[in-house]
Amino acid sequence: MRAWYRLVFPKNYLDRRMRAGFLFVLPALLFFGFVYLLPLAQSVMYSFYKIAPGGAREFAGLGRYQKVLTDPTFWSAVGNTVHLLLLSVPVTVVCALAVALGLNRIASLKWRNLWASMYFLPFATSLVAAALIWQWIYEPVYGFLNYALSYIGVPPQKWLQSLTQVLPSIAVVSVWVRIGFDTMIFLAALQTIPGEYYEAARMDGASAWQRLRYITLPMLNAQIIMVCILELIFNFKVFDQVYATTQGGPAGASQTIIMLLYDTAFKYFRFGDASVMAVFVFVTLMAITLLQWRFLRKPVEY
Amino acid sequence: MKPGARWVSGILAVVAMVAMAMPGAAIAQQKKLVLWTHWDQNPEFNKWYETKGKEFAKKSGYEVEVVTVPYQGYEAKYLAALMAKNAAPDIFMGQTHQWCGQYDFCDKMPDDLAKTIDQNLPKYMVDIGKWKGVRYGIPIEHGNFQQMYINVDMFKKAGLNPDDAPTKFTGDWLADMKKLTIPDPKGGEPTQVGFAIRSKGAPVGITDKFLPFAHAWGARMLSPNLDKATGYANSPEMVAALTFFGDLVNKDKVASLAFGNPEDAFGQKRAAVIFRESWFFGWLKKNAPDVNFKVYALPCEKTCPGAGALFPWTDLVYKNSSNKQAAWEFMRFISNAKDDMDHHQLQGILPVWTSNLDSDYVKSRPDYQSTKAMLAQQVPPTYFHPKSNELATAFGEAVVGVLFGKGQPKPLLDEAAAKMDRILTD
Amino acid sequence: MSSIAPLSVSTRHAALTLKQAHVRWLLALAVACGAIIVFFPFFWMAITSLKTAPEIQRVPLQITPDNWLNFSNYVEVLNRQHFLRSLLNSTLVASVAAVSSVVVSSLAGFGFAKYRFPGRDVFFLAVIGILMVPFQSVVVPLYVWMNDLGLLDTYAGIVAPDLVSVFGVFLMRQAIEVIPNDYIDAARIDGGSELGIFFSVVLPSVKPAIATLLIIKFMWSWNEFFWPMVVTTSPEMKVVTVALMSFTNMYYIEYNLLTAAAVLSVLPILVIFVVLQRWVVQAVVMSGLKG
Repeated sequence: MRAWYRLVFPKNYLDRRMRAGFLFVLPALLFFGFVYLLPLAQSVMYSFYKIAPGGAREFAGLGRYQKVLTDPTFWSAVGNTVHLLLLSVPVTVVCALAVALGLNRIASLKWRNLWASMYFLPFATSLVAAALIWQWIYEPVYGFLNYALSYIGVPPQKWLQSLTQVLPSIAVVSVWVRIGFDTMIFLAALQTIPGEYYEAARMDGASAWQRLRYITLPMLNAQIIMVCILELIFNFKVFDQVYATTQGGPAGASQTIIMLLYDTAFKYFRFGDASVMAVFVFVTLMAITLLQWRFLRKPVEY
Repeated sequence: MKPGARWVSGILAVVAMVAMAMPGAAIAQQKKLVLWTHWDQNPEFNKWYETKGKEFAKKSGYEVEVVTVPYQGYEAKYLAALMAKNAAPDIFMGQTHQWCGQYDFCDKMPDDLAKTIDQNLPKYMVDIGKWKGVRYGIPIEHGNFQQMYINVDMFKKAGLNPDDAPTKFTGDWLADMKKLTIPDPKGGEPTQVGFAIRSKGAPVGITDKFLPFAHAWGARMLSPNLDKATGYANSPEMVAALTFFGDLVNKDKVASLAFGNPEDAFGQKRAAVIFRESWFFGWLKKNAPDVNFKVYALPCEKTCPGAGALFPWTDLVYKNSSNKQAAWEFMRFISNAKDDMDHHQLQGILPVWTSNLDSDYVKSRPDYQSTKAMLAQQVPPTYFHPKSNELATAFGEAVVGVLFGKGQPKPLLDEAAAKMDRILTD
Repeated sequence: MSSIAPLSVSTRHAALTLKQAHVRWLLALAVACGAIIVFFPFFWMAITSLKTAPEIQRVPLQITPDNWLNFSNYVEVLNRQHFLRSLLNSTLVASVAAVSSVVVSSLAGFGFAKYRFPGRDVFFLAVIGILMVPFQSVVVPLYVWMNDLGLLDTYAGIVAPDLVSVFGVFLMRQAIEVIPNDYIDAARIDGGSELGIFFSVVLPSVKPAIATLLIIKFMWSWNEFFWPMVVTTSPEMKVVTVALMSFTNMYYIEYNLLTAAAVLSVLPILVIFVVLQRWVVQAVVMSGLKG
């Protein structure tokens, strides 16, 4: 309490500094509050109501929570989402790191820009258009993938039509879309690591692998954490790719939480239940992020 | 920053601020009725409202502005606008049982107009646009029921007579399908199938495509009052129908899950028969002009499937619109046989009024005879319940399960029926 | 220590350099191959946009179009939609979102990274938390709110939820955190105001991050579909992603037109990316020169 008072009425230099810090943060806070606070509050409020036919709202307490959280379809969607997560996130982060490291080594800026642009391009395309193109590529009979694989003797696969292959196939699309984003972040960070560290290590006779492990990765630690958290959040909320390609099929094998949320809100008109799912997503993501934050951050001395 | 860059960014900032401050569209002085539709595939149909609106403006002072909304996400956009009241359209195209049944966004149609509509619709369409017996909307799409398209050349090649289409599912239809399927000698997927089956995408669509089979066996998804699923969705007739359907893929192998999009399969001459609505031959003309096809009424079993659809589209008037009166005036203005004819003919789709169904235009369509035959069949059950999407999804999961070999028809249907009952009573 | 026998320094140096060159070459090759694989769907998209609808449907698969100069799809796209206007709209919205994000995010990042004030961590988590809320559940209340503010169907309405980037705050915080505290303290001792320190010490040190944020936020905003779709109704206000969707409908997808439109929508990004990349390089080179 006293700290807040001193924030508004600073007594000394340190207090003024404290206030400056708060003021730096204020525009962002004001923006989010102004734009999102009211809608968020309403959305949470909806989770305690049931929309009856005719549009009337009736208060349902925790009833909707009970209904949604005991619904096997909901947990099946959660399971699919987690499955997809486990496939996409590690691959994206590792590949992005590898690509960034590779790009960093390329001396010629012209080539580096070219390859970097190509990696980044998927991020620039409308997710829906990209998903539709991928659907075409995955087509079992006339898609390019089976066509190319037939040249090395692989029989045509069902990909998005197969119960077992659909999630890995979608994961590939997710990785494809997001790899450029993470590569950019890693690349920018790699370029700020002072060359002297590497020189010193090389003089000490460290191998490339050792340099990677003891200099690069620790220096990138903050970025790796950030990328992991962001990838987790974005892949948990995956929607566009799946909606455009499989619409949750076949047989619900690719229905993710947000797809179920969308259908519940806008096709089944059960807004209260959709809000319950939103709260679930928020709480889960917050919990995981906090855990990642707490346990994976390593302080680095400068 | 270099001075040049500073100038450029300064100018850009000013431009951006000016643009941000600009109102989005010019503020019109002309009074307008705003009509929302998501029929991206029918641009001429949509434009006709505006052209007619100019005529209408001479009498009433109101023009008509048509806004086409992308189909993907249209429910969210409609819901947001209808809840925000003053941002809502005056007229919008949607399913009556959803916007008037689940929500209360529709204005009741004036009695005189309702009577006119009721008198001029084909009998299977009379319930479309009504909720609990009260009419709210005007159906705009006829021919929104599946018919049988056959590939003439493939029939001939298999030694079948394309002018003599099969009429019984378990009889000549299945036999023909078998003749039209070319299996893979190595035991893999066939190179050509008889029937292009819909097996991918959302379960709602799969239910929609399976229903003719269910209706042909005399089964129905819900009770006549639409209040119960158990005993109907899992009735012995439904089990028989679903067994037949699943066997097409799993036992008789005249249909395959590996053939992707059924429309593409038919267009690529890899499937000989497809059940599709009347928009399909327009698509064929554009994408597969070399397919030689004919349209027939669907085969029957215990009864005939008849003309039925899960998603009937109607024009509705927003309850809280400040231009309600003018909106209904406009509806009256265009509700006559000639306008109905012009409107639909412009886009190449079937008119709605029965008096137009024997016009020269309709007679010249490839689906003329088949549509007549289908309309002569018994009217199938309808499921215009506010929760139809969710119910059809739950039901579709059973159908998909059978197709993909996840279980047997009876247990999957039992499960689906139980789920549907839970949805109905929630 | 590696098992290299004790050769003379210069020979060992030469051997290492050769090995380094090999490794470097292999790495470059791997990166290039990866880039080509990642690029392939675009190539496919571009090829498909030159085919007519029946060609696309053709079986067996045919990779090259019949007529490489078949631009009829592009013509039809431009005729059916005010596509150029949509490109302009997207550019405008994305630019404003990107610039605004950079400004607010770097300020916030500085505050979160280098200052302590009551509630700092809670606020930071609250900001990240915005990202964790599924947008679909907020869209209807947000729309009603925007309607109350009179921002429907305006540029301001389209860009409003996008003006500050949560990811941006995260990124700038990370980037600013690594600035040695000594630099900041030194500037303080020199008598700079906090805001002055922001401009003189912080901003120059995080140029790569700023450039990254600018580019990423631009692309992100460019790619937005759901909110722009919900908030706009007039055809002139459509952004590119919404215009793209008009080539799909409830029954089928017009692949020939969709791919042409998608190619058109990516070209400006490519151009901008090439231009901005140069700035990134410049920024990085300049920051490398700093002691």
